[in-house]
Amino acid sequence: MTEYLLLVVGAVLVNNFVLTRFLGICPFLGVSKKLSTALGMCGAVVFVMTSASAVVWLVEAYLLVPLKIEYMRTIAFILVIASFVQLVDIALKKISPALHGALGIFLPLITTNCAVLGVARLNVQFKYGFGKAVMFGFAASLGFSLALVIFTGLREKIDRADPPKAFQGVAIALVTAGLLSLAFMGFAGLVK
Amino acid sequence: MKLLKAKHKSHGGVHPKYRKNLVQDMAIEEMPLPQLLRVSMAQHLGAPARPVVKKGDTVLRGQLIGEAAGFISAAVHAPTSGTVKAVTPCPTPAGPQAPAIEIEPDGEDRWDPEVEKSAAARDGLIAEFQKSPGAKKDVVLGIIADAGIVGMGGAGFPTHVKLSPPPKKPIDTLIINGAECEPYLSSDNRLMIEHAERIWSGALLVRKVLGAGTLRVAIEENKPEAIAAMEKAAGDFGGEADVAIVVLKTEYPQGAEKQQIYAITGREVPAGGLPMDVGTVVQNVGTTYAVWDAVVNARPLIQRVTSLTGSPVSTPRNVLARVGTSYADMLAFCGGTAGDVAKAISGGPMMGLAQASLDIPTTKTTSGIVLLTPAELSVYGSTPCISCGRCVDGCPMNLMPCELSQMLEAEDYDAAEEYNVLDCIECGCCAFQCPAHRPLVQHIRQGKARIMAKRRAERQAAAKDES
Amino acid sequence: MGALVTTASAIGGVGLVCAVALALAARFLGVEEDQRIEEVVDLLPGANCGGCGFAGCADYAKAMVIEGAAINLCAPCGAETLQALSELLGRKAEATEKEVAIVLCGGNATSAPRRSAYNGVADCAAAHAVGGGDKVCQYGCLGYGSCARVCPSGAIELVDGLATVHPDLCIGCGACVRTCPRHLIKMVPATRVVHVLCSSRAKGPVVKKACTVGCIGCSICTKLAEDNAIRMEGPLAVVDYSKQFDHPEIAEKCPGHCIVRHQTPNTEHRASLKEPAGTS
Repeated sequence: MTEYLLLVVGAVLVNNFVLTRFLGICPFLGVSKKLSTALGMCGAVVFVMTSASAVVWLVEAYLLVPLKIEYMRTIAFILVIASFVQLVDIALKKISPALHGALGIFLPLITTNCAVLGVARLNVQFKYGFGKAVMFGFAASLGFSLALVIFTGLREKIDRADPPKAFQGVAIALVTAGLLSLAFMGFAGLVK
Repeated sequence: MKLLKAKHKSHGGVHPKYRKNLVQDMAIEEMPLPQLLRVSMAQHLGAPARPVVKKGDTVLRGQLIGEAAGFISAAVHAPTSGTVKAVTPCPTPAGPQAPAIEIEPDGEDRWDPEVEKSAAARDGLIAEFQKSPGAKKDVVLGIIADAGIVGMGGAGFPTHVKLSPPPKKPIDTLIINGAECEPYLSSDNRLMIEHAERIWSGALLVRKVLGAGTLRVAIEENKPEAIAAMEKAAGDFGGEADVAIVVLKTEYPQGAEKQQIYAITGREVPAGGLPMDVGTVVQNVGTTYAVWDAVVNARPLIQRVTSLTGSPVSTPRNVLARVGTSYADMLAFCGGTAGDVAKAISGGPMMGLAQASLDIPTTKTTSGIVLLTPAELSVYGSTPCISCGRCVDGCPMNLMPCELSQMLEAEDYDAAEEYNVLDCIECGCCAFQCPAHRPLVQHIRQGKARIMAKRRAERQAAAKDES
Repeated sequence: MGALVTTASAIGGVGLVCAVALALAARFLGVEEDQRIEEVVDLLPGANCGGCGFAGCADYAKAMVIEGAAINLCAPCGAETLQALSELLGRKAEATEKEVAIVLCGGNATSAPRRSAYNGVADCAAAHAVGGGDKVCQYGCLGYGSCARVCPSGAIELVDGLATVHPDLCIGCGACVRTCPRHLIKMVPATRVVHVLCSSRAKGPVVKKACTVGCIGCSICTKLAEDNAIRMEGPLAVVDYSKQFDHPEIAEKCPGHCIVRHQTPNTEHRASLKEPAGTS
């Protein structure tokens, strides 16, 4: 039990995927302009990361390892992740065309989102069992969501302000992201 | 007479320098009739009155010159006898021109005989009303409506509408608002000092109309003379149950009705709601006096006390003048200016409106005219919000003016609506304290206007779709 | 060789499974979308000015294709775009005459003095709401630039405190018309030459005190303009823009100095589409 808790706290706060591991920056910056869109993206990422972690673990354990084709890991993982993302794309277009339009290009970019592939690879690297792997995937997506929601809140406020011309747009957003990352560094040492 | 202390205190509020010493000891003085009176048809909330006289007509004091145009509207009467010179637009303190009736006084100041005739029968009517208030309530409300009485605290809401809440909103508490929290102003103060009995009479009449059990008169503690006068006069009405004077802590905006209701009763008026939603009605002392005058003497509302004050004024006074007197004429009565005038404000310095010229006529709601010297003025350049939170601390409606102002500057009206911008009472506490000198109230006022316009357009579009 | 086959079939198998899953998903959750909407969006200028009355170009495209909204509502569209839209959707298009905005006021800092010092938000609606504005003229341009800020093509310039439209830059979206709190800006056909640069409804003597180039209501212009092209509306001369006319001396003969004759460039923006290029 404590193990799972430590896993979650580690993935969400101490080693936050976006702010500490520096993965998944693309949707982090791209979808953080409006809270409703950001929440949609969070939902999509949670679904993809968790289910991809599960399926990928199965592929690794029952296909790649027995057949000794671990060198196909990257290809296989990407195949699975891409399929999940496409599934979400199709489903979202049906369920919520408005959100689908708002997310735009950033939805398929979850595929190349290094955070998803990253969590899959880390599961292999840390040699987690199935339960832990899925938990880790879920916790990582929660960490991503936390970072995204906080950052969206900040960005919505900054958008109303009037920064100097040189800082307007993505420039001030990146500065803010850096400061947010600095804040999250404070969690280092929380979990040994 | 019981002197109570306020049991609760609203969030926020500020303590500006009150500077009431300029006029608080000046007895009310009646000003002689000016050469021209311009009586606006739009000196109340709701539809402007419809003129019922035309150029060349002769009018008498108290004669109806504008009839109420709808339920939420008020009648307007001639302040003196004379000739109608024109029915033409004239400037208002808020800016847009409003139709007005220009009257040239003939100097004789003759009352309309109808007024005198009605006055004779009033004693009998009042006795009947005291005996069976239910039966005669509508008659009294009719008298108030016919007299064109509106909220004289500044809002100008037609009183007969305020005193007719729907049956499912019963009223149990009436609060007479003598707080006068705006700096510089002292008209309500002097009214309480000099006419305490009449105000009590009016208050008791209004209480009977509403069928309320509790009557409170709210006065800020910086008006000890007024408190003493009202206490002394109340000795004559000692028999009435549950009547008390509440001494409020001196703070701006204790005179705002939602804040006053909370301070005295602990009830919170719901967002977007009215005092009647919590069984309360708040009425200004000036309005109460006007109700007494209308019911007892059959006199319509044609005059009021205005504090013309400020350091550049030669002789600041509390002037009793007819509605429609130009600010310039009133200033002349106060000896003109002695020094440079940088700003002229209609109302008080917190919520009043700055004027570009003194060629504006007074209305039923002009409680003060404040002049400021260049040294007393703050001409500011605003800088970005530093998120200090002083505005949040000071807001009596528990809003976040810093956020609202930034949203409105970025024209995000939906976000502003979500953050309750429509609940702002525009008291100015936020802008008063802002270290970045941001024009918070101006942004909020603009935002409110845009949101209301959008809602109106949507309602019209929806109505058109249905038809 | 065996390893190659194993790898290929293993990964191929995974791929096949994914493909089947997606095919099923596309079948049961798929959404039909009219391809034409994308094409219409590509044809439209993409200014998102709102002049058509819809929320943006994408919204208008959808309305055009699905709800059958008129295809000539986009003012910035040229005749070519209209032709292309007509071909794509197979609908008739009657192009409207190109219109540009004009600010009907000539009161700049020199000619129309201020009566007070306005210290507040630099926005025309805000200034107008404070005591009726800080200019003596209660009808004229306040010069705080709200119209210039809202113009998507930067066609409005504040010249000496007076908003002025550059007709060659104006795309005709009408955003400025909606923004001006004193309703001074009008959309007029680009080919009109004569304009009365005043919107004051005050009487002559009042106008004279407020502005040196205001309309004093003498109505001399109404006699010079043929076919009733200028009418008096109370004390203000108003041009009837449905008529094309000119008079070489009309500007000089105006005692109020409020009439101008502009040479507007780009007069070829006239619509000439009478027959649809395709069939119904």
